[in-house]
Amino acid sequence: MKEKEVIQTLDDIRDMMSKSSRFQAVSGVSIIVVGVYACIASILGYLFIGAPDMLPFLSGRQDVFQLNTPYRIRLACLLAVGLFVLSLATVILMAYAKARRHDLRFVADKRMLQMAFNFLLPLAVGGLLCMALILQGHYGLTSSIMLLFYGLALVNCQHYTYPVLRFLGYAEILLGIIDCFSIHYALLFWFIGFGLLHILFGIFYITKYDKVK
Amino acid sequence: MIAGLDGLNKAFESKARLGIMSVLVANEFVDFTTLKELLQLTDGNLASHTRSLEDLGYIRCEKSFVGRKPNTRFYATEAGRTAFADHIAALESFLKNQK
Repeated sequence: MKEKEVIQTLDDIRDMMSKSSRFQAVSGVSIIVVGVYACIASILGYLFIGAPDMLPFLSGRQDVFQLNTPYRIRLACLLAVGLFVLSLATVILMAYAKARRHDLRFVADKRMLQMAFNFLLPLAVGGLLCMALILQGHYGLTSSIMLLFYGLALVNCQHYTYPVLRFLGYAEILLGIIDCFSIHYALLFWFIGFGLLHILFGIFYITKYDKVK
Repeated sequence: MIAGLDGLNKAFESKARLGIMSVLVANEFVDFTTLKELLQLTDGNLASHTRSLEDLGYIRCEKSFVGRKPNTRFYATEAGRTAFADHIAALESFLKNQK
């Protein structure tokens, strides 16, 4: 009987240490939802770069589909920014809901602000770099820069939440590096990195951390 | 809790005090309200446990004001960290000897 008590005590200690120091409210379902958004966005992107006729609101506007017209770039940027905002909002709202449900902490304390800063800094740097490259007419590396900096952002905030997050980060970085060296497949890498990897990681996350205790 | 094991620290026999130490060891510092919410203790309860840990030299507190509201931060001291580590080591060695 004593053995059970000791095991229970050690479990309690471990729980309390991670509950107090790590941000556990991110919901696994929201990771999957973000992956699905990204899949839809890259399919949309593919359609209006590769096959604009299939989109009703663009059919008959062939004139604007000369390669790399500013109009199309603007559309693509709008899509990417929209996706980012929507994803961030989804993750935050669902994290808030999960925190309410499981009585987890969801306060803008020092740790949470540090986590947000560590996550957003690489993203902001990567975003500005992408913008600069696009403005100067270099479109080729956009998707790999997004993957690379997103991966770095994930690795950078592993200490504030579940450390397995870094493996998603490593995968994104690896994909970004491969993407650097290959041409023509930007949207495919984008689809895998932001879509499929999120969905897979979300499923793993749910089985491992989202179980109700 | 488990009494009579070798190397266990009497100070950590109470669940609340063990909880306080767990939180403080994992964080640089924690303020009173956060600690209270995490451990689900009442003000008075938490105050008396932190005072006894402070008397033992395992934690220290810093009082300051945020505007007009008093704000107390707790830190684990070196002695506290060592004592906590020893306590866990004793629990673990007990488990090992069972096998």
